[in-house]
Amino acid sequence: MNILESKKIKEKAYLEKLDNGMTVIIIPKPNLDKKYIIWGTHFGSIDNRFIMPKTGEEVFIPDGVAHFLEHKMFEQPNGTNSLDTLMALGLDANAYTTNDHTAYLFECTDNFYEGLDELMDYVQHPYFTDENVEKEKGIIAQEIKMYDDEPGWRLYMNAMDCMYKENPIKIDIAGSVESINKITPDVLYKCYNTFYNPSNMIMAVCGDFKPEELLQEIKKRLIPKEEQGKITRIYPEKEMTINKPYKEDKMEVSIPLFAIGYKDIEGMDNEKDIVKKHIAIEILLNMIIGKSSENYKKLYEAGELLAEPDLDYEFSKEYAHVVISGKSKNPQVIKNAVENTVEEFKNKGLNEEHFDRIRKKVYGDYVVEYNSVGNIARMFLADNIKGINSFDYIEEFNSVTKKYTEEILKNVFKSENMILSVINCK
Amino acid sequence: MYYEKKELKKGITIHQINTNKFKTNLFSVFLAIPLERENVTKNALIAAVLRRGTQNLKSQDEISKKLEEMYGASFDCGIEKTGDNHILKFYLESISEEFLPEKEELSKKCLQILFDIILNPLIENDGFKEEYIESEKRNLKQIIESKIDNKRIYSLERCIEEMFKDSPYGLYKYGYVEDLEKINAKDLYKYYKELISRCKIDIFASGTIENLDIYKIIEENEQIAKLKERTPEYIVNKQKAEKINEKEERIVEEHLNVGQGNLVLGLKVNDDKENGKYIASVYNAILGGGANSKLFQNVREKESLAYTAGSNYKRQKDAIFIRCGIEIDKYEKALNTIKVQLTDMKEGKFSEEDINNAKQLINSSIKSINSEQDTEITYYYGQELSEQFVRIEEYMKKIEEVSKNDIEHLANSTFIDTIYFLRN
Repeated sequence: MNILESKKIKEKAYLEKLDNGMTVIIIPKPNLDKKYIIWGTHFGSIDNRFIMPKTGEEVFIPDGVAHFLEHKMFEQPNGTNSLDTLMALGLDANAYTTNDHTAYLFECTDNFYEGLDELMDYVQHPYFTDENVEKEKGIIAQEIKMYDDEPGWRLYMNAMDCMYKENPIKIDIAGSVESINKITPDVLYKCYNTFYNPSNMIMAVCGDFKPEELLQEIKKRLIPKEEQGKITRIYPEKEMTINKPYKEDKMEVSIPLFAIGYKDIEGMDNEKDIVKKHIAIEILLNMIIGKSSENYKKLYEAGELLAEPDLDYEFSKEYAHVVISGKSKNPQVIKNAVENTVEEFKNKGLNEEHFDRIRKKVYGDYVVEYNSVGNIARMFLADNIKGINSFDYIEEFNSVTKKYTEEILKNVFKSENMILSVINCK
Repeated sequence: MYYEKKELKKGITIHQINTNKFKTNLFSVFLAIPLERENVTKNALIAAVLRRGTQNLKSQDEISKKLEEMYGASFDCGIEKTGDNHILKFYLESISEEFLPEKEELSKKCLQILFDIILNPLIENDGFKEEYIESEKRNLKQIIESKIDNKRIYSLERCIEEMFKDSPYGLYKYGYVEDLEKINAKDLYKYYKELISRCKIDIFASGTIENLDIYKIIEENEQIAKLKERTPEYIVNKQKAEKINEKEERIVEEHLNVGQGNLVLGLKVNDDKENGKYIASVYNAILGGGANSKLFQNVREKESLAYTAGSNYKRQKDAIFIRCGIEIDKYEKALNTIKVQLTDMKEGKFSEEDINNAKQLINSSIKSINSEQDTEITYYYGQELSEQFVRIEEYMKKIEEVSKNDIEHLANSTFIDTIYFLRN
């Protein structure tokens, strides 16, 4: 196996690309009782148009299929549900769908190999019928309605709508009540057969394991599958501008919610530098409006902010953006403060002492990620799908200089790519 | 791993959890005081004001800067209800010294800052700083009002409020807007001094602390040295449920502009058996603990009525809360389906397999307690408040001992107290 190592935090990851194309990553944690396994496929809500490698057929699917498929994977031909089986073993099992991947997982202290049997069995055996697909529509409709009542989710979706015209990141991960009604077993099988091929899948495991032994156990449980060619995913053309600078909605909330976004047009174009860029953006966000920033101090004292905003940089090959979100009675004031600070930083350069302090903080944040087996496995999976080695966040940290960060500031934080999404009180 | 506790002075206890499972050290201080309408708002405000500044670090901004320099050590504080106690919680987490790029005495600095924040606040004219009080009052008002923002949490809070209307547990942990207006900087400081001298204080240190003499560092801390011994007034969480008479269920309906209905049922567990709390845990797990529970299987999987369907057991209050998000016009059907599950529990319509699954679910979460630093601290603090020390192994054994008879018996003395429904 290939060994990746971070000397700074004394961790190793063992990586193997199997003959069938599947990637296995094992991160040993010798003294922990908890174990965590996650098996993901590079298939998320944005993959709504693609060419099936075997038949060459172009498929355009309804919104919410990846998520629907995730729900349906647990159902077995003998009438059992794998989620129940896993829970009965005392394992904490779950699954989730994001923009770019779907993942099946469990966490446990005992019965790991019994759980592995079940996990690898159900993910490799789809069973969709008219009846069981129909039944799921009621459950997912309630999930969609739960999100519809969540102001934070609506705020985020509106921010995406501001930044993108056609990009499928605008699509709600679960789809809509109308779109899920169009889903049939046939659509599910087409997607399963395309995206659940081992060559499109990654498994990450963290806990007290001997990597070589575990790898053999995983291999034993894999069903031979025919090699398929490359999946061609069809996405709309890259958009060089934002869709609209502002969007507002009204909901039953006690105080308005805001999301300020900067669309990053360049995104992952310069792929090999993406980790450095990500680190630089996190430092910048903390300097602009983080807990110890001038901005936060002023806005907090003036009663404009109640708590430090959430700071996030989301990216894939298809989209990239910064989102700053929080609560304030005057969202426009927050937006102006952010914009002015960005301009000031561009003109005067970053303050050396401030930059160094925030660097230390961001470094500490990355180290803390390694406290939990769940965090570690999820991080390695999500990063691997983007082509990133997670340790790079620690190892490349020192190469992020003030000068480099200033360049990123100029390239990413542009006023013309700035948007504001607001949820006002009804 | 070892856990050790030692009384520093009467009413002040130091707990040490030495573990090498983490990259961080976590220090926390808990102040416990009985929940009272008169004081809830003040307690919540105190937690907020303390983080604003100390005599040494005069503003939040100075505190943040200091922590950032310490490799992003992070401070957090919060307020919680545990049984009939109001708990002010303060945490400071920092990277273990072995993972620092350069050698530094981080732990000692961390404890100093933490104690400074709690015990050495910025004082002006014999009161808290006026400006901080005013802005924290404004903030707290907003926090109290934002209860409504998350409809699922709101529904649960409302059900608890209705069910425990006339008892301390029904109080909102952040307090009340109408009480806020009456508070001023001087009076609050007076109350704070009283609080600090009366409350139960527990100090936890978790991490690779073997080679640090934590006890000595704490004992010698200037702020800690000033504390006097006390007979703390906190309420001990009882081991047995109190026997109460079954009442008729109360239905509370509330209208808000929502798309989904939130149904919450508050159940009272009325079984005063020895080990009743362990039996109730197993009962709750069968009823609504996970994916193979009765609620999940029937309300969600069979009837397709909900995405979320399950229940939670509040051990200190002998209460179980059933929660589901449903189509508003399916209220009757959902309620009936839930009631059928409760009847099935009473009639013993559950198998040995169900019982074993439930026990597995509970014991695997108990077993993983030491895989998360704050969970481990919470476990030991829970024991501290109930004045009983149960080792993890013993806890699991007691769960194993629960029998079908025990569960049936408990099911028959469990009843619906309040039905709360949030709809449009």
